[in-house]
Formats: sequence, structure tokens, C-alpha cells
Amino acid sequence: MNIMTGTEVFRRTATYEREAPTIRLHAPQWKLLLAFDGQRSLAEVALSASTPFAEALAQAETFLESDWIAEQPITLEEYLKRASATGNFSGGIIPPSVVLHEPKPEASRTETKAENGAAGHPPRDTGPVSRGPMRLSAIVDYIVSLAETIQLGQLLAYRVFLRVPPEILQSEDIVSIHLVDDTSIVRTGALQKAIADAVQDITKRTLPDSVYATA
Amino acid sequence: MPLPERDIYYFIDVTLTYLNKITANEIVPRDPTIEFQSLVFSAYTGLLHLKGSAEGFVYITASVPFLQQLYGSRYGRGRFAEESCRDLMSDVTNVIAHNVRKRFGPALHLSEPHIFSTVPDDPIEMPPAVFVQPLLWRKEQAYFVLGLTSSST
Repeated sequence: MNIMTGTEVFRRTATYEREAPTIRLHAPQWKLLLAFDGQRSLAEVALSASTPFAEALAQAETFLESDWIAEQPITLEEYLKRASATGNFSGGIIPPSVVLHEPKPEASRTETKAENGAAGHPPRDTGPVSRGPMRLSAIVDYIVSLAETIQLGQLLAYRVFLRVPPEILQSEDIVSIHLVDDTSIVRTGALQKAIADAVQDITKRTLPDSVYATA
Repeated sequence: MPLPERDIYYFIDVTLTYLNKITANEIVPRDPTIEFQSLVFSAYTGLLHLKGSAEGFVYITASVPFLQQLYGSRYGRGRFAEESCRDLMSDVTNVIAHNVRKRFGPALHLSEPHIFSTVPDDPIEMPPAVFVQPLLWRKEQAYFVLGLTSSST
């Protein structure tokens, strides 16, 4: 597989249509997979599915390996139209035609190294750094995605939340977590840090940026 | 050595397998929750305390209509009474205990099953979090509940 730049256009395949009834994915993955329509670029699909580009890239590779999507060649006319729309037609690698991330504050940049499940150690003694609210559903989905099956992932999430001090959860009025589509938002730095630390301790992974709610 | 998720899932799996055997695979697991402040108890409960490689408890709790259907599915049209609920709960809990003992051996000690109605006879200490797996059968619910005292078990 060549290096993907975000300008590639993918469509879902006949294999996907055949296997769809038996495919098991998490909701964010379905959102992304169903967004591949043979029209929009990978970068545009990522944006429409509210998925960080790096994650969308990794997911697209997985979908490609499963033969659920295939690259849709585009005509010269389409290519020129896309290139001119972004003012980046230089004959070289064309960067994604959409803004993928807001610039991050300096304080949070060190954490991006460990995005996408790469093992890493967050700076644990720097105190809570506010990066906006976290979506509890995204945290659970991320933990579940680390396990072989959804059921095992949900038990992994249980082990993670066993490690979060109950008094911190209570301070944010969290008395229960729905392991599918919980709508709670984690606002306080103390709880965000406690959850991030628990995820790190149990899974040896760092929470990705996608757990933060977008504006 | 912490009990891996696959081993923890065995408790759920053996419960589902047994109930599905009686109900012809009609048990539908609903989306689970993690509870931090309360335990769920239905009409009748069968509870096992765990010690050793996992510390805490596991129980299944079900409504009377759920147990009535279960009784009907298992014994046909026999007379259904309160004792039937206790007997069914005892059966389910004993099957879980038997299979868990067979799989984990002496590394995991299980108490004798405690069968009770409504609320436990002896107070149960609330662990930091419990895993609650609702089970639906013909619109009636039962709950599989797992409470570990720490994430390291």
C-alpha cells in the first residue's frame, strides 16, 4: 500500500455488501465506513465523520485490508477540480483539502505522539491540563476497541473504571456508565486525569485526542 | 495475577449458555452498564462470593415473570410457587459455580450459593464499581451482576 495523503477517494466494495450483515464494528467505525461514498476524499470523509485524520487513516487501512473499501480512481477533470479548489495543484503530493485539526495549544502537543493506540506514557505529574470536555462514550469506545471482542472490551472498560476513585466520579455526579452510547461529558480536569491514568494503568495506552468533544 | 477479561467473561458466558439451553437461545443480552453507587436486585437472586484470583461477588437476579417463564420452559405446566423461584435460582447459581470451579480450580474460591428474595439477608459491601449485564427474555428482565473489589483481580 502506498502512503495515503488524504486525497484518495474510496468506495465500498462488493465484499462489504456481502459481509455487511456479519461485520461487527463500533459506532464511530461504522460512521466512517459508511461515509466512503466514492465521491469524497479520505480527508473529507474524516471530517464528515468527526474522526481525527490520523484515526481515519488507520481505519481506512484496516478497511482496505478487509477489502470493504477500494480506491475509486478519478478522472483528470475531477482531479484538476479538486486541486484547483484548494489552490494546491503543484504536481506533487496534495495535502488534504480541508482543515483537519484546530491548532493545538503548546501544552498538549506532547500527547499527540501517543495517539492512535501507540504505547506511550503521558506526562502524569504535570497536573490536569484543560483541553475541553471529554465524551464518556468516546472513552468507552476507545477502550472497547482495544479488545478482541465487544464483550471483552466492555469488561476491560469495567476494569478501567474500577480504578477511577469513586469520590472523583461522584463529584461529577456520574453514578452509572452506559457502555453503549453514554451521553455524559467529563468536564473537570481531576476526573479527566483520573480516567486517563486508569486507562494508562490498565491498558498501557494513552487516550487519543478523539475523546475530546469538538466545539 | 489479575484475572484477564476473557476469564471474567467466562462467568457471563456460562450463565448465558445455561439460560439459552433452557430458553432455546432466546436470551437477548442488552447493553451493559457500570454502576458506581447502587446494586440492582430483582425479585429473586442467586449470589456467589469470590475469593482468590478474583475478589468480590457475582450474582444473577430475576423477576418473578422471568422465572415463571423459565419454569414453564423447563418443566412444562407444573405448579409454580415461590419455592419454584428459589429452586430455579439455586439451579442457575449452582451451574455457574460448578463450571467456574471446574475451570479455575482451587485458585478461585467460590462460596456456597446464597439464594434470597428482594434484598440480601446479609449486607453486601458495595465495591468501587459493578458490571451489570441486563438479560431480556420475552420482555422480562434478569440481570447478571459482577462486583470486583479491585481492578487487579
